[in-house]
Amino acid sequence: MFEAGAVTKTVVLTDPRGDAASAQVVRPTGTHAPYLRAEGLSKAYGATIALSHVSLEVHAGEVHALLGENGAGKSTLVKILSGIVLADQGRLEVDGRPFEPGSLLGARSAGVSTAFQELSLLPNLSVAVNLMLPNLIKGPTGINSARRNEQAAAALLQEFGVTTVDPASLVADLSLAEKQRVEIVRALSHRPRLLVLDEPTAALADPGWLFDIVERLSGEGVAILYISHRLAEVRRLCRRGTVLRNGRSIETVDLTGTPDAEIFRMMVGTSQDELKHKAAPNRNGRGPRLAVQGLAGRNVHDVSFEVGDGEILGVAALEGQGQRPIFRMLAGLEPMTAGSVTVEGKAADLRSPAAALRSGIGFLPEERKTEGIFLGLKTSSNISLPVLGRVLRGAFISRSRENALVAEASERVDLAKRYQGMRIAALSGGNQQKALLARVLLSGPRNLVLYDPTRGVDVGTKQVIYAAIRSFVEQGGSALIYSTELAELVHLAHRCLVVYGGRIVGDVAGSLLTEDRLVSFATGHGDIAA
Amino acid sequence: MKEALMSGPAPHDTRTTGRSLGPEAITPLVLFGLTILLVIASRWISPNLGGFHQVAAIIVLSSFLMVVAFGQQMVVLIGGLDLSVPSLLTLGGILTFGWSTASGWSLIWILLAVLVVNGVIGALSGAGIAWLRIPPFIMTLAMGIIVYSAALGITAGTPRGHPSAALASLFTGRILGLPPIIYLMILFVIAGTALQSYTPFGRKLYALGTSPVAAHVAGLPVGWLTVATYALSAAVAGVAGFLLVGYAGGATLVMGQSYLLPSIAAVVVGGTSILGGRGTYISAVAASLLLTTFSTIISSVQILEGWRTIIYGCVILIAIAALREDLPLWLNRSLQRPSRPPPQAANAQSAQ
Repeated sequence: MFEAGAVTKTVVLTDPRGDAASAQVVRPTGTHAPYLRAEGLSKAYGATIALSHVSLEVHAGEVHALLGENGAGKSTLVKILSGIVLADQGRLEVDGRPFEPGSLLGARSAGVSTAFQELSLLPNLSVAVNLMLPNLIKGPTGINSARRNEQAAAALLQEFGVTTVDPASLVADLSLAEKQRVEIVRALSHRPRLLVLDEPTAALADPGWLFDIVERLSGEGVAILYISHRLAEVRRLCRRGTVLRNGRSIETVDLTGTPDAEIFRMMVGTSQDELKHKAAPNRNGRGPRLAVQGLAGRNVHDVSFEVGDGEILGVAALEGQGQRPIFRMLAGLEPMTAGSVTVEGKAADLRSPAAALRSGIGFLPEERKTEGIFLGLKTSSNISLPVLGRVLRGAFISRSRENALVAEASERVDLAKRYQGMRIAALSGGNQQKALLARVLLSGPRNLVLYDPTRGVDVGTKQVIYAAIRSFVEQGGSALIYSTELAELVHLAHRCLVVYGGRIVGDVAGSLLTEDRLVSFATGHGDIAA
Repeated sequence: MKEALMSGPAPHDTRTTGRSLGPEAITPLVLFGLTILLVIASRWISPNLGGFHQVAAIIVLSSFLMVVAFGQQMVVLIGGLDLSVPSLLTLGGILTFGWSTASGWSLIWILLAVLVVNGVIGALSGAGIAWLRIPPFIMTLAMGIIVYSAALGITAGTPRGHPSAALASLFTGRILGLPPIIYLMILFVIAGTALQSYTPFGRKLYALGTSPVAAHVAGLPVGWLTVATYALSAAVAGVAGFLLVGYAGGATLVMGQSYLLPSIAAVVVGGTSILGGRGTYISAVAASLLLTTFSTIISSVQILEGWRTIIYGCVILIAIAALREDLPLWLNRSLQRPSRPPPQAANAQSAQ
């Protein structure tokens, strides 16, 4: 119906309602209406204003970016579009018709399909069943046929180029990246006219697969709302983007003509602080803090490395190269079959997370919602949990001492005081991550072991997390960090290991530490990099 | 742990306006209020009901339920269920009755012995659940059957012993016109609330109930916490048996049977999430009072036993349906901003 080329002529829509007199505004060549039009959307949860008068338009064949920090209202907008919550106010139109989905199925039948950031797969069922629900294929006996469903699912996976996932396997057994792919394929399987991708690359180390699909679909005229924190990939895919801040749509901008700094300014409200300084580690001439010798376990073979005083050691790897088991062994969550780990020269006991903590290793897990925070507890209770023994008056918890300790820890991660008394479930993802980091710091480790600490958090929170890690190592601690974002490792780490096939294949430091070099090691081409 | 201010699923920055009560403060108030209304209303049914003595009798009668509900609630708080409550209550009763010989152990030693014996049995259940990964209701059901059968075998069906005058005086004596058990119960409720809400142990149970995986990752001793919780539940079931011997003047093998479902009902009607991690003891206490008041009233009405049980079941269902988590939220919202139109209406207006 619309040719993709039409949209590329849209330059800047400073006012979403359009001001024809403005020289900046260039309408798409066709006079057609946008495929999705949102006007004045508002949503409040109790006293919390999540969205306030948000307007935006997405044309058919357009990949439209939605930008904003955590808590800016992106997730709420996604929920409204997917039929999970109803807007309190405002008007939504899809293809010129009013769109007020009361359920996920309602949204789907109107041609709107969503791949969620917090994956919505059922972990105890197979990939095939997850993909086919709610319309499972029945066999000749009228009973659901596992074989036919698996065939249909395999065809779907094949169609969208996912070859590594067996449709018969349980979702719970998949890696995070594989789950994310299945989630995306499921959204695609409904043949949407409007596809909402909420942080689709948060767990994908190699997003090229997704980019191909997005480009193909937009070529077919599908409207795509693309939500991501990664500005580089947003620039690659999208020409226009709408920035949300504090629940309001700040501006819809032409991304090609807008520098990063300007977009950050719109997202955060102030210009981004440049935090590009990286002092050499403060070694003090002592031995290593954390020494790993000949570590082996599931998918890990003979891994040895040392982290020094004041050092931030990065770990780069493509998905599923054994980095996860290495981190989980250090955290006491997975058994090691060989090797030794010493902390400050003493053998560390890694039989359980509690033992690892006593040995001085503080672990930040990968999945914040299931392994990290306690959603039912207050933020302050989440933070103070490991140190309740330090805030006792007699046998009882002293609220004032607890609050003082929590306030101190919150300050280290720049978490506003007003969140302390609230249930942590009411906080945005970035603030939950800050609280989790505060808890890990408060538990008094001498070595931080952080698995993707900035997964799915916004730019502002990332800077806070970097600053907290830096100040931790400057005070003589050490940190081991895995990240799916190579740029982050280059920015943050003093030295970076590259893991490939369960072994360490690269160790780069100083001026040699570049994304290109990490990529060539991580893809198994260390010979070229060296 | 009083959840102050906001709660609920709002995933965004929150600025709370005005003062509001969390669900954990409202639920017990609503339950206490209902109990009082029920007592007042009972006067219409019979002039014998609703008086001072009647109220004191209801409190005495509900004290056994309050005690077992404490243990049951701790177990439910970590996402479990204790079906061995009746057997362990019976065991506590039989031991108490058997040990209070004419020469007489002093009561405090009997109580301590009951706590230890029951605690060990509960710890075994907890160990099976924590380390052998046996589902809680299977483990406690099996343990309950074993304990009951052992009691049956050893007593040959008739527990022997001596009624304890000292224990009976908890119910027959008067301090300031009230039986001493009422004062003891006040102390028990305070101690229970303190353990649950103001100690690291209690706080860790909430964390464990909210997310066992996160609790493990955070380095909590998940296994030992589970063992301690089931030991505690078994121990307080023994305390209930101990008290019941004083009230009834003896022990029988069926004395615990009528406490299993009420103990669960009191916990759930009191707003404790059956999935774990949420609820307060004071609400379970209020629910125990409400349920006991209700069963006292319907048993004084001339209807058939079957109908009574049906009404009792319906009341529990209604109470649970009415006391869902969103009720306090809804109350808060409508009390604070009566002028604001509900979301649906606003939506409809703007759509026109």
